[in-house]
Amino acid sequence: MLNLYQPQPVKIIGSSQESADTKLLRLQFVDKKLQSDFSFLPGQFVQVGLPEWGECPISICSSTYYSKRYFELAIRNVGALTNKLNSLSEGAIVYIRGPYGNGFDVEKFRDLPLLLIGGGCGFVPLRSLVIDYIEERLPNSVLKIFYGCKDENTLLFKKEYAKWNRQAELNIVLEKPSKQWAGAKGMITDLLSSKKITVNSIAVLVGPPIMYRFVIKELKKKGIKDENIYLSLERKMYCGLGVCQHCAIGPYYVCKDGPVFRYQDIKNLQNAI
Amino acid sequence: MNASPDLKSINSLLRILAKDYFIFAPQKNGDIVKIAEIKNTDDIDWLGQMPEKPWKDIFLPAKEQIFDLNNGIKESKKQYPKIAAVGMNVLDLKALALFDQVFGSDTYYLRRRNNTLTVGYSADWPIDYKKFKVFSHTYEEDILEHLSFDVFLAKLKNGKLKIYSGSEKGQNILEASGIKDYKHIEFAGPIPEAGTDKRVLALKEKVWQSANNKLWEELGKQCLACGKCSIVCPTCFCFDFKDNSDPSNNSRQRCWGNCFYNDFSLVAGGNKELDTVKKKIYFWYVHKFVRIPKEYGLPGCVSCGRCSRTCPVGIDIAKNIQRVIKNK
Repeated sequence: MLNLYQPQPVKIIGSSQESADTKLLRLQFVDKKLQSDFSFLPGQFVQVGLPEWGECPISICSSTYYSKRYFELAIRNVGALTNKLNSLSEGAIVYIRGPYGNGFDVEKFRDLPLLLIGGGCGFVPLRSLVIDYIEERLPNSVLKIFYGCKDENTLLFKKEYAKWNRQAELNIVLEKPSKQWAGAKGMITDLLSSKKITVNSIAVLVGPPIMYRFVIKELKKKGIKDENIYLSLERKMYCGLGVCQHCAIGPYYVCKDGPVFRYQDIKNLQNAI
Repeated sequence: MNASPDLKSINSLLRILAKDYFIFAPQKNGDIVKIAEIKNTDDIDWLGQMPEKPWKDIFLPAKEQIFDLNNGIKESKKQYPKIAAVGMNVLDLKALALFDQVFGSDTYYLRRRNNTLTVGYSADWPIDYKKFKVFSHTYEEDILEHLSFDVFLAKLKNGKLKIYSGSEKGQNILEASGIKDYKHIEFAGPIPEAGTDKRVLALKEKVWQSANNKLWEELGKQCLACGKCSIVCPTCFCFDFKDNSDPSNNSRQRCWGNCFYNDFSLVAGGNKELDTVKKKIYFWYVHKFVRIPKEYGLPGCVSCGRCSRTCPVGIDIAKNIQRVIKNK
């Protein structure tokens, strides 16, 4: 019978340093059939690991458009496993299982203006939505991107901004930029409050809990409804299947019922955000 | 020798079981009853006292190798021992029915489970049970049809033994033991026909609405977060994966987790969801009384009372649940 915890080998076919502590790994299943059968939704994650180093959940950040050929993970050095993963070169084998979680149900966003709001390394899963939009795989008419980061050195995917900005509206704000920075300075909420936002917009938020609290307040000021605010949560997890209990919040599992939740459904849960 | 209901029939059954199985059963050890492999069938405790620890490590070991990491990540091929769990009481069988749901598609659990044979037994309700009125119910055959057992031995009020089979495996073993006078009960799934027990559903709402009850604040001060309640709970099943880099045997292990321990929710970078004892103990209750009923339609507490008996500071689950029910 199928072993739910059996990881599959994937090869690193590309690797680029995105920031001082974050690398973008392009991965391809060793088994060609697994790669051609692979599909995911933006916002889903995989359990990535190495023998003797364990596993950890990482959001997929590439476009679904390329899923039959490869997928990408942006990995930040935060612990032993992520440091080890980022020390590997092209050609090295890592192990994954998944994809897990619900992801963003893009059909629910159909024809509505879409706001993507990301803070720091939380921006990672939003990249899937951005590229899907550019590849005309998202049924939305308008895409506005709001990306808040500490400084220039922590910004991810810099090489892609020119392309993104041609088809979408990209807004970046830095908290502590260098003197050369000509863009917006401050918090992501400053950026949001200065922009005109259509009241029927769908807002997708990924970032630290503190960002959620302030951004949601700002969005509500703009008249965005709780049911149109989506956010992705991060928790410790082992199984990825809603069994091991580590990622539970109230009646939900972040790995299975999430990681994407509607704000409306979790706003009254203690400790959710 | 303990007072055994119908020694003759039980002994023939045990003799046949011993041919193929390691027999685990409750044994008296001073004041407590322990579940252990039996050397002599006379050592089995038939009085029905609640064993100190549950049976869960027979079905979900505290530590189990799941992958061999010596050359990639390969499923550990292992022979699982054939174990007969003899003398499981109704509450422990309820916990097993829950495990069967939770781990119903888990390779390792199923391999182990398929190699076990369960012999349920009821002497009377366990001594503490009547005080525990949360899920009080009368013992009837309609309970048995929702329990997954192979053989069930019910001691009647007159001291006679009534024998049931609950599976083909159970029927075969009874036949082989020369026991003809038994009744077959077809397993009807863990949830009663009428649906999930209404008290379980009502309690689910109560516990869920109790987040601001001062009970959790009080328990947060009282509880030592030692995690013993979770270890002795027959329905606590959370787990961790741990990679073991022992050069002679690189392996990925599944180990029991414990939501009272600090690393349970600790993520890289140092953030911890459950950062107070109050949050931990509330999390434990929400798992038992909210998440399990929501997911499986079954109670997450079988009211065995082990947690209350084990707690070093006397936290009593029955009292706490009464407080939640009464909003006090």
